[in-house]
Amino acid sequence: MSILVIADVKNQTVNPSTLELVTIAQKIAKQKNLPVNLLIPFGNIGGDSYCASEFKTYIVNLNIEQYSAPTLVKHISNIIREVDATYIIGLHTPFTIDYVPSLSVGINAQCISQIHSLETRESITVIRGSHAGKLDQHIVINETPPIIITILPGSFEPYTISEMQNNNITTIDIPEVDNRVNCEFITKEMTDKSLDEADVIVGAGKGIGSQENVSLVYEFAKVFPHSAVAGSRIVCDYGWLPYSKQIGITGKSISPKVYIACAISGSSQHVAGIKGAKTIIAINKDPYAPIFNVSHYGVVADIFEFIPQFIDFVNAKRR
Amino acid sequence: MDKKLTILVCIKQVPDSNAVVHINDGMPEYDDKTVYVINRYDEYALEEALQLKDRGLTLHIHTVSVGPARVQKALRRSLEMGADEAYHILIDGDTINTPDIIAQAIIQFAQHRYDIIFTGVMSEDAMNQQTGQLIAAMTGYNYATGVTELSLNKNTITITRELDAQESMVYELQFPCVICVQSSINKPRYPSLSNVLRARKQEIVMIKPDIMIPNKKTNCYFTVPQKTTQCQFIEGNVSQQVSQLYTILHKHAVL
Repeated sequence: MSILVIADVKNQTVNPSTLELVTIAQKIAKQKNLPVNLLIPFGNIGGDSYCASEFKTYIVNLNIEQYSAPTLVKHISNIIREVDATYIIGLHTPFTIDYVPSLSVGINAQCISQIHSLETRESITVIRGSHAGKLDQHIVINETPPIIITILPGSFEPYTISEMQNNNITTIDIPEVDNRVNCEFITKEMTDKSLDEADVIVGAGKGIGSQENVSLVYEFAKVFPHSAVAGSRIVCDYGWLPYSKQIGITGKSISPKVYIACAISGSSQHVAGIKGAKTIIAINKDPYAPIFNVSHYGVVADIFEFIPQFIDFVNAKRR
Repeated sequence: MDKKLTILVCIKQVPDSNAVVHINDGMPEYDDKTVYVINRYDEYALEEALQLKDRGLTLHIHTVSVGPARVQKALRRSLEMGADEAYHILIDGDTINTPDIIAQAIIQFAQHRYDIIFTGVMSEDAMNQQTGQLIAAMTGYNYATGVTELSLNKNTITITRELDAQESMVYELQFPCVICVQSSINKPRYPSLSNVLRARKQEIVMIKPDIMIPNKKTNCYFTVPQKTTQCQFIEGNVSQQVSQLYTILHKHAVL
């Protein structure tokens, strides 16, 4: 029996957040006394720098341009059987969630997705947000593995590899692979760098109600010297803000000094993108909004009352 | 496209975002007043199918929903938006952690009759993000998730999959396939009056699935989310809150 961490891919290279999964793997390893293996699903994504004495690294000799979920699932299922993996851990990102649940069918495993915490007592319990983030679902893992779990990015500290060890890498050659290029990667040039550079980011949520009200959020942001405006996915879906301003798993991750979430309920999809902010402030009229669970300061108020008064207050101070 | 497409759109009915959920003996219970709607991501999936219909590319669009009697309201709405037929697979009780059961029920109903099975990328309530992938894996169909663009070729379909704000992947899928739609793909329509009137007369076909539903509740319980930070609430009336937040932001040297 063993633990298998599946590396995530970002910008066609190994996503460094993969090391967050190694942290969890080590936690389970200690509890269950199992070895840890790291699987790099492609041969051309820089996987050879992810090697250490603490775990074995397997690199699948496929090119990322050959990506096809069914093909990858077939090869990884074989590796799972070979290393007798009982805990299979992936990162909950659009890239990895495309194929990891499918692994469960071939190896007859349960897949539990979108996990944000893990408890190791006598048995292992994983915790995921459910009911649109209003509740936490705790699932006790029975001793009938294998089990597949996907972890939200930013939920755990990344593991620090003490020393790289090149001889701990095994390359797995795939026989009779079709070498045709299967897919193309398209990268949009981000001209809007405001979210990378701002000290204060003001986020707009569904509760702002309409496109006209976006101006209120912009006026609020203007109060701060180095600021920017961002939004949750739904605000961008509604066309109230462009997608370049979207924060979350499918958007940008931010790390300003202060993030102010205005009328944002705080779904786990959004929260995963704001973990890097040093201080999080939430303004929401619903005292039970999940955003308060991850905030340092909470203001239970209607943004349409609070923001104008705040702007007036600051202007009066400056006069 | 050589032939006209037969399409199935999987629709989940979910509580709207204002719904209040309580915990009773470790299990979730929605308030009686809860309003249920079509899962937002499934609405985008349906709209994408309807746009193919508008271009004369479909033979028919069927919608299917798995759940208790109330899900018929969501199916009725799908007819109002323009689906041709709607099917209700009756399963009672909470199916929040059972994407594999939902996938099995849909496959049993679909019987390989469809060229494309559409789903939303996830449900807003459970957020498992698995049902589409499991339908594909169990049937051996091609598939893609997080799809933000699609175009039909002679015998294939080209999809764009969103990875993050900056990066996407583009590739072709053979039919039959499962396509899990991401929200930025289109703007779902409002039902036209003529479709609303037509839908009123249409029958929603109910099916009882031949599936064992395991009792998973033995290893799971629910709680109110734990706080990962100690949130300091700023008390008082709005003007007191304003001056306190000003002081805090001043201390953080951003004002």
